[in-house]
Amino acid sequence: MDSDFHKIIEEFHFHIDHRHEYAKSLKRKGKLLAGYMCTHIPEEILYAGGIIPLRILSSHDSQALTRSYMHETYCSFSHDCAYEGLSQNYDYLDLIVMGTTCLHMSEAFNVWVRFGGFKERSFLILFPHIMETKQGSKFLLNSFGEFKKFLEDFKKNFISDYEIEDAIKVYNQTRRLIRKLWQFLKDNSSIIRGADLAAITLASQLMDKREFNEMLGKLIDGLKCQDKGKSLGVRLMVSGGACDDIRIFELIESLNYKVDLIFIDSCTVGRYFWFEVLEDQSDKLRVLSEGYLDRIPCPSKDNILGTGEKKRFRFIQEFIEDFRPDGIVFLYQRFCSPQPHDIVALKPILNRLGIPYIELELDTTIPINQFKNRLEAFVETIKGVELVE
Amino acid sequence: MSYSLSIWNEFKNYQWSCYRNYVHASGGLRCMGSTWSVLSPLKGFGEDVYLIGGEPHAASTAGTFPEDAREDILASERVGLGFHSCSYLKLFVGEIVRSKIAIPDRTVSDRYPKPDLIWTTHLCTQHSKWYQEVSRRLGGVPIYAIDMIGGGNADKDSKVVNYVCDQIEAGIRWLERVTGRDFSDELFIKAARNEIKVLVLWGNVCALNRHIPAPLDERRLIALFPPAMVDRTTDQAVRIYEALLEEVKYMVDNGESVVPDQRFRIAYFGLAHTYGHPEIARILREVGAEIVASIYTFGTTGNFRGFINGKWSWDPIDPAWVDGLNLSSRREAITELVKVVLGWPTWQGVRSYWAIEEMAKAMVREFKADGLLLAPCRSCETDFRNGYIAMQRIFRNEIPTIEYDTDQVDVRKMDLPGSKRKTELFVHLMESHKKRKAHKNG
Repeated sequence: MDSDFHKIIEEFHFHIDHRHEYAKSLKRKGKLLAGYMCTHIPEEILYAGGIIPLRILSSHDSQALTRSYMHETYCSFSHDCAYEGLSQNYDYLDLIVMGTTCLHMSEAFNVWVRFGGFKERSFLILFPHIMETKQGSKFLLNSFGEFKKFLEDFKKNFISDYEIEDAIKVYNQTRRLIRKLWQFLKDNSSIIRGADLAAITLASQLMDKREFNEMLGKLIDGLKCQDKGKSLGVRLMVSGGACDDIRIFELIESLNYKVDLIFIDSCTVGRYFWFEVLEDQSDKLRVLSEGYLDRIPCPSKDNILGTGEKKRFRFIQEFIEDFRPDGIVFLYQRFCSPQPHDIVALKPILNRLGIPYIELELDTTIPINQFKNRLEAFVETIKGVELVE
Repeated sequence: MSYSLSIWNEFKNYQWSCYRNYVHASGGLRCMGSTWSVLSPLKGFGEDVYLIGGEPHAASTAGTFPEDAREDILASERVGLGFHSCSYLKLFVGEIVRSKIAIPDRTVSDRYPKPDLIWTTHLCTQHSKWYQEVSRRLGGVPIYAIDMIGGGNADKDSKVVNYVCDQIEAGIRWLERVTGRDFSDELFIKAARNEIKVLVLWGNVCALNRHIPAPLDERRLIALFPPAMVDRTTDQAVRIYEALLEEVKYMVDNGESVVPDQRFRIAYFGLAHTYGHPEIARILREVGAEIVASIYTFGTTGNFRGFINGKWSWDPIDPAWVDGLNLSSRREAITELVKVVLGWPTWQGVRSYWAIEEMAKAMVREFKADGLLLAPCRSCETDFRNGYIAMQRIFRNEIPTIEYDTDQVDVRKMDLPGSKRKTELFVHLMESHKKRKAHKNG
């Protein structure tokens, strides 16, 4: 049994490493595929229309190519995603879909549309820049309606309420399963690593959800049967922006000290699945728009009217309470501004809670040794390691 | 001979008095926020409403107190704001960190005047975050940010217009709760008409620069548009812009210019970069090259005909159109305001590459530009940094086009030696381009 669950985990890693082959295999089965870069799109509507949504990730190659299209002061994630379009690495996609989001990712989308050959096969969903308003809810409902109509015209097929309900249930199942998986780390279990969970969560964005759910269901059943030994490592939580480079999470768990990565608050991991859409309601688009607005907001869209509070902070404090980290690693893309703005305001909260933190800026490639040294020094401060002459 | 604008001092005094009123007010309502917001809803709360707008305040502080501006930026970085974040934002927050405020009349106050509320917008990812940080630092100032979702043609998209209008209507109710004051539709509608009028008048002034010689240069344009940024809702604002338009019309009729020797006409895309602009302008001036059209000064608070059948036009809107607008109800006034604000050239282009390119093509054509100068600001997300790269491709075979890196108010990011070299090269390119053209035409 032990080898079985390791095999499933390996399979998820394989899907990340061979995402194009997997996507092409779906294509051979007659599936239509839509790429997206940012999570502000209602994947359920695509899925209901028989189109598999796949998240576009970066390959961490040089940005030399994209510098002729995007200014150097845009984050490396947006450059990398634009690179994928310019390199035609996703030429098998039938569509590219984007929700209005930060300007960096919007520009990556523009590069695909203008220079990647997707002009006639793209759709931009107008998604509110502030997520916590009544007016935004009405606006998004309208946007989702336009998107559904676009897909129906594209496929020349009506998308029924029944199909949307089915997709909502499949996606909610994915979210519940991933949440269950992270529960193992919440319970201090030593049977699975945080880096693997990050990879599995990322794989969910690259796979047909039904297939993913089946695999993950088996994995969870297997894990339940295992001896849940307690891990005694330093518990670190990551909070930040998009990061599809699993190596950084592996690095955190392979320092010279025993460290457990216990949760990741980011749009590629925690914020992707930490919400649900109401099931069995009559107005499907309404519940979808409400569900997507109810999510943990991206820092670029987070502003509670009246007070200027950040809703995401409530979730972060909830994660801290539930997952009990010993320290926080702020991890964000260089040139991203919303993230450091949030960090400035988060630090006093962490200080009050007595939780130490460290900031790491991501670029196209990760400076492994530098990060390793800094992370080890950080863990030493948490453990209170004394320097010996 | 250079023409001296007689209206100049009135502009300066108007701007200064707005800042003084804000800083020294002993009562009334102090309102802070982006000047990219619709301002007139605030004026529905009385005659004693004083405004301070983040962008023009940061720009004028950097121009008047360069050393302080640097200290402000460093202070905000010391408390954690990112090196790459907007430098206007950092300068503004830095003043709060240092607990002082400096205004263009050279007053420095070591008591930062706390606003009663923040009324602002959100478009780029830093816009409302800016004031979230201000609110937090000042102990929780009430803040209302309006999502100005948009992009090319947004002013003609009823879905977007209604969304923004709904937020403003809700915002007025919020303002009533926060201020404890009643909202006067009468005062609001009057302010709204003034706000629209000033934007249209400024568009008219800019459009007159299509004449040869252009009556105004970029230095004057930069100095003349801040009053429209700071407070465009007053009768006085309308009066000074009407007077300016009359004076510039007179200049055109009489072939006058503030810089009469104009061998080269330049279209400029970029923000004002306080530390580089004077030096670059000097290089250009020495050879008779002038920036006669600029997206920043024209488009940040100015309105034009805009998109007509997919083509951009820098034609002005007749000011009389504003007088005929039906603003008889709150909703009608909000709707007209929103359409005008969403129609600003800078906003049209922030999220639409095609819009900014159409504007550039029209600007080069209509203003008969000999060269295109591109100066992206490193820390401004709303500056069209990618658009500038595309423009170099678009104009490669048409007119000399040069790009140099700048920043709004952070001198550390201004590559002055490189920019000077590129500007000199730009001048040579325009010279040879002109000769080639003359040779071709026999």
